[in-house]
Order: sequence, then structure tokens, then C-alpha cells
Amino acid sequence: MIVAEQKPLEEIGRLIAPYEKVLILGCGTCMTVCGAGGEREVSLLHSALRVAYSRSGDEAHSFLEYTVKRQCDFEFLDVLVDKVKEVDAVLSLGCGVGVQVLAERFPDMPVLPGVNTSFMGASKEWGVWDERCAACGDCRLAETAGICPITRCAKGILNGPCAGSKNGKCEVNKDMDCAWGLIYKGLERLGQLDKMRRYYPPRNFRPIPRPRRIVSKADINLGGGDG
Amino acid sequence: MYPVSVKEASFDHTLMPPCQAECPLHMEIREYVDLIAQGKIMEALQVIRDTNPFPSICAHVCTAPCETACRRGQVDKPIAIRALKRFAVEFGGDRMIQIEGETRHEERVAIVGSGSAGLSAAYYLRKLGYPVTIFEAYSEVGGMLRVGIPKYRLPREVLDAEVQRLIQMGVEIETSTSVVSLDLLFQMGYKAVFITVGAHQGLRLGIEGEESPGVVDGATFLRETNLGLKPSIGSRVVVVGGGNVAIDAARTALRLGAEDVKLLYRRSREEMPANSSEVEQATEEGIEILFLVTPTKLERRDAELKLTCLRMELGEPDASGRRRPMPVKDSEFSMDFDTLITAIGQAPQIPDDFRLRIGRGSTIRVDPVTLTTNREGVFAGGDAVTGPATVVQALTTGRQAAFRIDEYLQHRYPLVGKGEKEALAGDLFPKTIEAIRKLSRFEPPILSPEERAREFEPVELVYDWGSAVNEARRCLRCGMGAEILSQDRCATCLTCLRICPYHVPYLDDSGTIQIPADQCQACGICVAECPAKVIVLRKPQDRRHINEGLNHALKSADPTKVKPLIIGFCCQYGLYGTGALASLWREAKAGIWIVPVLCVAKIETEHILCAFEMGAEGVFIAGCGQEQCAREDTAFWALQRMEKAKKLLAQIGLEPERLRAFNLYANEPDLAKVLDEFTERVGELHLASVIKQEVKA
Repeated sequence: MIVAEQKPLEEIGRLIAPYEKVLILGCGTCMTVCGAGGEREVSLLHSALRVAYSRSGDEAHSFLEYTVKRQCDFEFLDVLVDKVKEVDAVLSLGCGVGVQVLAERFPDMPVLPGVNTSFMGASKEWGVWDERCAACGDCRLAETAGICPITRCAKGILNGPCAGSKNGKCEVNKDMDCAWGLIYKGLERLGQLDKMRRYYPPRNFRPIPRPRRIVSKADINLGGGDG
Repeated sequence: MYPVSVKEASFDHTLMPPCQAECPLHMEIREYVDLIAQGKIMEALQVIRDTNPFPSICAHVCTAPCETACRRGQVDKPIAIRALKRFAVEFGGDRMIQIEGETRHEERVAIVGSGSAGLSAAYYLRKLGYPVTIFEAYSEVGGMLRVGIPKYRLPREVLDAEVQRLIQMGVEIETSTSVVSLDLLFQMGYKAVFITVGAHQGLRLGIEGEESPGVVDGATFLRETNLGLKPSIGSRVVVVGGGNVAIDAARTALRLGAEDVKLLYRRSREEMPANSSEVEQATEEGIEILFLVTPTKLERRDAELKLTCLRMELGEPDASGRRRPMPVKDSEFSMDFDTLITAIGQAPQIPDDFRLRIGRGSTIRVDPVTLTTNREGVFAGGDAVTGPATVVQALTTGRQAAFRIDEYLQHRYPLVGKGEKEALAGDLFPKTIEAIRKLSRFEPPILSPEERAREFEPVELVYDWGSAVNEARRCLRCGMGAEILSQDRCATCLTCLRICPYHVPYLDDSGTIQIPADQCQACGICVAECPAKVIVLRKPQDRRHINEGLNHALKSADPTKVKPLIIGFCCQYGLYGTGALASLWREAKAGIWIVPVLCVAKIETEHILCAFEMGAEGVFIAGCGQEQCAREDTAFWALQRMEKAKKLLAQIGLEPERLRAFNLYANEPDLAKVLDEFTERVGELHLASVIKQEVKA
């Protein structure tokens, strides 16, 4: 899941300052789950902005609230056509993808990000999220007992552990488990310790050519065949 | 103002709790217990009066089937519902209540018998606007309430007050008037007759020597005592039977001066139909109960009676589901005593001249839905139809009869069983039971066995305020918990599943979150946390409560703001509503406004922000600490939300000191003083911000 954090109120205030009427738009998928931009956060942000404006005596600003099921697909945005006509800007509490799809769908409307999209991660308990995947495009989890050294090792090294691993903890943060320590234990449990001995050549860390695209459909030619 | 959406305000989705489903009158028990928990005793009495014609009588004598059904019993002990009702009746001012009885119809209705069923029918018929006459064969009104139930269980003032109220409503009562012919009643102009003559005829043991002097049946014995005759019973009394009448007879004999009272029952304690607390009290008073004993022969020698008995053992279950007692060979023994009271059951005695069809056990046969008999315009109910039953069953029949008679007289099709709520079914999950805090039941005080055994004074006393409120707080509020309003908007984020203190929400096989209604404890934590705002409480009032309170406070607050406005969200449960907090806000320096909440767990961050938006300079939350609330984790979540509000407000430039939580149970040196300090601090902060703004300007 994509995890994000709401931007500080002060920054949001600056972003929306030029616009009188703003639509605060939540997203019903990842942003709801990670608590950064679901229906509750939309109305909470709305409340907080109202408090701020009532305190400063600012009466120029007004807001609309709405939450769509998913901002990252065009079809879900059709319901917004009329609402968008009423406002001067859209403050999206969707992830970076959502903001961009919105901007593409409504090219005449300023679309502002209300959250900082942070990482792809998981939540083990209420209110705590941990990063788990760096979207490197070259997954090696089969070799590392399902533990990603790219995201979970502070140095992102492919042949670990390094000399900074002490009692299973990382030298960068003594409360953090050493990812390679975890990998070792995991492989031991799986009876695959031989994988620790293997050498993984350095990866090509040159920037990934962006933007990436995945095409899962085949190119079918329905033309008249050979004849 | 805080928006109250139409969607949220629409439906009441609460399910009927087991207590209500089990109560023959279907009283709104959960509602009135909840009101008592808030200290709203008069409102509680109002709810009680809505469905019960004689709450003061039920408060004393009801067998409380609701308590048997109460699911608190699966956790520790059931809620003391009957004792709470008594508290509401006595503290809520039931005696002052007057019921209007306006005549709107011409058709006169005759009621034969003034027992629970007859009085209840009279009450409802009068409310429906019919002229009603009750005919009572005995010299006093009340049927079994008067001649059957001993005074120590139902003080006669209570009964008299209810009868007096009926008379004020315009019910005519003819005592010492035995109805011998129904034709005569119709000739006198009555258009409908309700027969409710009870079951006063004691059943016979069927043993040799039963005709001897010194043998009396329980119903007759109780009647004679209750009508003021003092039957002479000697000092050694044996009672045969295991029902409530047997226990009543034994305890009455003790109060009449008998020194040695024994009770014989042919099965064991488990099968005993008598109310278990009555059995317990009887034993405490010194009554010896011989289980698995049955009498076989009675002989009279001079003034003494000699009873031969057999010991029994339990065999296979019989038709009633109880294990059948079988005699043990060569176990005969005998005992000497002065009086034998037989209390093994009673049957009605219906005059032949009534020309009614009689069924099993000499009872009147009726249609169970319409209560009609074989004769046109004649209805019947109560013990005369069912055989000996409970007061609450008779009250229910009386109410039913009134409505059926109304339909009969107005030529309407009977409206039966419509608009009933779905009843909650199922036991609590073991993991839920484990998570529910065990809270011991507050028993109402009772007189000591020594004090009560020689008197006919009421045995049970009424709760004091604190015990009643604390007992009521134990209620699990079955069937009014959380529900997912629309699965479509649920993001399946698992917040509810992870934070529920009772482990109620679960993921079904298709990956959908379910919140089973029969498990939810209605604490409201998930409702306030759901990031999709898709979980609501089933009771609309619960949903609107805080918003309305907040709107009201903000509207009423002084707009000139001479003193900075402070909003206090205060828990209404426990003693706050009436105790510590009430005095607090009565004295409250102008500027403090209280928003009552039903548990601090229901306060959302948005409520706090809303208060500031509307001009509050400070907000406090007051409720139980983690240890004192009847629910789990409530203080933790209230504080979580307060922290979130602090974080947001800090970004707007509002200091965290403007928010405070008070634990009303903690031994704060002096709550009023702490609150004073808080008010003062908020005042300073307010002043500072005003100055800052002016400087800026």
C-alpha cells in the first residue's frame, strides 16, 4: 500500500491562499487506509482550516468536501465534473499519482497536493507504518528470505551484513533490526543458508529510465492476415 | 454549526436485547437502565411507565425473567433489573404520577376478577376510553396480589396506591361481588366481558389421611393470613411443594410464630421452580428444605400429625424436561408436627353457569391471539387460562385483552405482532467475554434474617443513589452497537478490527469486515476512528448527541465573550451528571459550557476543533480514568484524539495548554481548584493572543 503523511497545516494554508473556494478531495483507497486522506481526514482538515480562518478573521475562503473511491483512475473522477466547476482549486489528499491523474483530467484547474507521498509500506498495528518496498524494478526477495535489503538495510547493500551489525541491530539506528541479520535468520529457518554464500554483483544503480510503463496487454493485429 | 447529515439521522437500527425479548411486557429495559446509569431517574421512570401499567408492583414481585436472559450473566452476574426498576419507581416520583382516563366510547366493559390481569386490562381499557367495571368476589381488590403474595414481598400500600390510581382514572370497582352469570352482565348493558378469576383452588396431594384437620392448602393458608385472619398453625409446620407458593407459605408460617418449619420437595434444588433468591432467603431465615422427599401417608394422633415420607432419586427427564423423581426402596421415614400445608399447585374454579369451554387443568380455553372464548364478547386471561403463572405474565395478558377487546368493540381486524424489532440472538464469544471488564453486581440491601423472620416488613430495601447508578453502568447495552453503514465505502483498512477492545470486528472469508451485532459492546471507539467514517452506532440518538449538545452550548454561550468561552465535554455516566460535575458547573464561572457525552470515547477530534472554530478559547474533557469506566480503553482513545487536536491546533498557533483532560475519579486535590487554574491559564493565553493580534494590526 502507498503510505503518505498530511502536509503541515501551514504549508497547506500557503498552497491554497490564492484561491477563494477550494475542493478538499479525499481518496477512498490507500490514503484512507494509511489515515492521511480518507473521509475523516478530509473533514478534519476542513475543520482545522475553518478554525485557522475564523481565528485570523479570514472570511474569504470557503471549502467543499468530497471523497472519491480512487483518485488514480480517470473513471472515478467523472463525478467531480460539476463540483470542480464551482471551485477555484482542488486540494487533493490523494497520493502523487492521484494528484497527477486529477490534473490531467481537469487541465484547467489548479490541483494542489495535500499530502506528502512517502513510501510503499505495511502496518503491523494501528497507527504505525513501515516502509517495505522501493519499487526498484528488479526484485530479489526470493534470495533474501522475503526481506528486502534495498529498503530495510540502511545502506541498501546487496551482500551483507556490513561491519556495523551488532547483536542483530544496525549501527545507523540501535533500535532498528539489521536487515541482513534478519535475512540470515530467515534463510537459516528455510534451510537456505547457502544463499548467504552467493555473491551478488553490484546492481546497475544508474537512474532508472523514467517514467516507466508496464503493458500487460498483447499487441493483436486483427488485420487481414498474410494473404 | 456542526453538520448533522441526513444520512446519519435517519434510521434506528437497534436490535431488541435479550432482556426485552424475554420480558412478557417487552419493557424497554436497556433504555431505562441506561437512563439510570446517567442519573436521569425521572426519564427512566417514564420509559418504564410506557410499557408497564403497575411498575411499583413489578418492582417488588416480578420474577424478572429478564435477569435470567441478561447476557451480563455470561460475563459475571446479570444486571439487577428488578431492583433498578424499584429504585426508579421510588426515586423517580411514581406516586405523584397521575394517569388521565377520559371516556371516549360508550361500550361498557366488565372485568371479572381484580388480579394482575384484571387490573392491567382495566388500566389499558380506561386509557383507550372505555367505561370499565371490575367485579371482585373477595372483600378486597387485588386477587393474588392481595390474597396470595405475602406482605413482606409486596407492601399493601404499594398495591393500594395503584388501585387508587385506577379509581382516579375512573375505573369502577365492586368488591364482595361474585359474578354468577355472564348473561346477567350482558343484560346489565356490558358489551364485553373479560374473565380473569385466577387459580385459587389448591391441588390435592392424593395421599391417605389428607382430610384430617390440621391440613390446609397453601393458597387458602395465604389468603386467610393476608385477609387478616390468623390461622392457628402450632409450632411445627411442614410445607409440601417446591414453587413460589410453597416458599411463601413456609416463610409466612415462620412469621406467624411457627418455630420449626420444614419444606418437602420431591426433586432437588436444581429442579425447584421457586425463585432462587426467595429460596435462599427462606433458608437464611431458618426454614429447613428436605429435597428428594415425598409424603405417602398422613395419620392423626391426638393433636399431632404424623407424616410418612419416602426418599426419592432422580431418573430420566420427563415431559417437562425435568428429571423424574423415583422412590428409593425401603427409605421410609416419618415425622411429627402440627400443621401440614400443601402447595403443589392450584387450578381455577370456573362456575358452570358461565358456560365456557374448559380445557386441561380446569382452565378456560381461549384463542391465544385474540383471547376470545367460545362465547361472543367474552374474553379470558390470566391464571384462569394459563394455570398459576407470574404477575408480569398476567399484566401482559391484561394489556393484550384490552387491545383485543378494543378491536372487537370497534369492529377492527386484530393488529397483532406488527412493528416488532428484530431480536438479538446468540451468546457472546468467549474472547469477547474475556475482554469485558468483570464488575460485581450491587445487590439491593435486605433486612437481616433475624429482623425479617418475625415480621411482615418488606425484606428487600431500595438502592441508594450511588449503588443504583453503578449497577446500571454494568449494562452491556446489547444490540445497540456499531454497524458498517455501507460496505461499499469501507476501505477495509482494519482500523476497527485492530482497535476494538472486545475483538468483535472480523474479516469474513471474502475479505469483508463484519461487526456482529450480537457481540458489539457499543463503546463507540471504532465509530470515532474509522478513517472512512463509515461506521455508525445503531441508535440515531447516540449519533446526534454530541453534535446537538455542542451546537446548543455554542448557541447559548455569551456572544460578548466577557470571559473566555470554555467548552467541557463531560461524561454523563456514573455520578458525574448529578454529583461532582453538577455542582461544578452550577458554580461555574460564566464562560464554561458543558457538553454532555455518553462516555468520553465518543468524542472525536473534530468535536474539539469545532468548539475552537465557534470561538472557544479552551476545551476540557472530563470522564473516568482507564480503571473506572465500565468499558475498556475509553480514556486512552479520548486522550489520543485530544493529542491529535493539540497537534493541529499548535500549527494554527493555539497553545496545547488550552486543552485538558480531567479524570473525575482520580483523587485530584480539588477538582474545582484545578478547573480554576485551567480557566485562569486559558484566560491568560486568550489575552496574550488578543494583544499579539493588536500589535500586528
